[in-house]
Amino acid sequence: MSEHDDLDMQIAEFVLGTLPADERRALNARRLLDPAVDARVQQWEERLAGMADDVAPVRPGPELFAEIERVLDQQTAQSTQPDDTASLVTLRRQVNLWRWSTALASAAALVLVAVLTLQPASAPESFVAVFQHDDQQPAFLLTVDLQNRQLNIRPVTAEPQPGKSYQLWIKSDELGPNPQSVGVLGDQMQLDKGALKQYDPALLREATFGISVEPPGGSPTGQPTGPAIHGYLYPAGDGPSHGI
Amino acid sequence: MPPDSSTPKVEARSPSDATPEALSVANISTLIGRVAKQDRAAFAKLYKATAPKLLGVVLRILKERSWADDVIQEAYLKVWQRASLFDAGKASPITWLVSIARNKAIDELRKHPAGRTSTDDAMDERVARQPTTQDQMEDQQEVSKLNQCIDQLAKERQDMVRLAYLSGWSREELARQYQQPVNTMKTWLRRALQDIKGCLES
Repeated sequence: MSEHDDLDMQIAEFVLGTLPADERRALNARRLLDPAVDARVQQWEERLAGMADDVAPVRPGPELFAEIERVLDQQTAQSTQPDDTASLVTLRRQVNLWRWSTALASAAALVLVAVLTLQPASAPESFVAVFQHDDQQPAFLLTVDLQNRQLNIRPVTAEPQPGKSYQLWIKSDELGPNPQSVGVLGDQMQLDKGALKQYDPALLREATFGISVEPPGGSPTGQPTGPAIHGYLYPAGDGPSHGI
Repeated sequence: MPPDSSTPKVEARSPSDATPEALSVANISTLIGRVAKQDRAAFAKLYKATAPKLLGVVLRILKERSWADDVIQEAYLKVWQRASLFDAGKASPITWLVSIARNKAIDELRKHPAGRTSTDDAMDERVARQPTTQDQMEDQQEVSKLNQCIDQLAKERQDMVRLAYLSGWSREELARQYQQPVNTMKTWLRRALQDIKGCLES
């Protein structure tokens, strides 16, 4: 079975719901990056949608919509607050999963573990890290092409913070106990594609990435000082092929 | 926190008289377009017209009412955020909405597999779908075609596909039910999906 067919079947199983959780997460992330994959997901959704037609509707309780509106009101109020403190509070609420200083000692460190699946030797070695605000909304997507040591970082729901900079960090046992700065994101929330050139692909494969909120221009101490968002790494290629 | 005064307020905060199929596909597309422009009244109408359908689908997967309610809440918040990404050329509006909710429900189920007490009742309400005369009368070619295509599969595989899609069964759960290795189940599911695709395109 060709790689193309395998991806198509992976997408089909994603829509059916039987794709294993790790492949499912990776495909969810990949959809956001790759419109072609997203389009194919939508095609499968259309193909299978008819099955749900026989499901009997269930009337929601009257309080459910009120609750949705309440959350929307809250979000609207927060996002229109020009006050820097308020937006920082929002940000902190979204990213309080861990801070570098305590990450390794706390239970939250579990989320730091990069989830990696070894690719078949011939597959392109491309990985994607999802920096999440919360369970559903990725804040940033980082793709790393291991072969060429090129990175591409893209904000998804993250927005520029007035008077603040986002800074990308890399952490690996080989680099010592502290994270190293990869770079400070520019005004367009971009970073030099070659910023990972100095790192060995094997190291990158095992590394954990983090993004922190820093004073303009980056951390004055060389270490993350603000709240940080963790990133999982997922293979961006097709899942491990077992052949059919 | 008081709502922003500039936010358009919705008259009815509790759309309780939901009549699911009251709006046409075109109307729902139009509503999503207005939601993309942050129109809260359109959002309320969209919810009223479509939430019963989405809740039905999600509840069938999660079984727990409060869990399903949470997923519906998150699904509509996502609809609010992502309405501008809806492309009527690529997806039918109902499919787009149902997919957001179904996706979320399955994500939840995979995250907390123990949250659903058993798969037995899903087996009960099973799947053995008898084509009705209503099907022939319905002006929904695609639906009939899909069901025709599924009905062409071997009986067990029809059930597997429907248990997965409608009740959220995982490969492992299906493998246990049908006493097969998980990899065999993967192969069967993919063949079934391949057959469905081929049949739909024929």
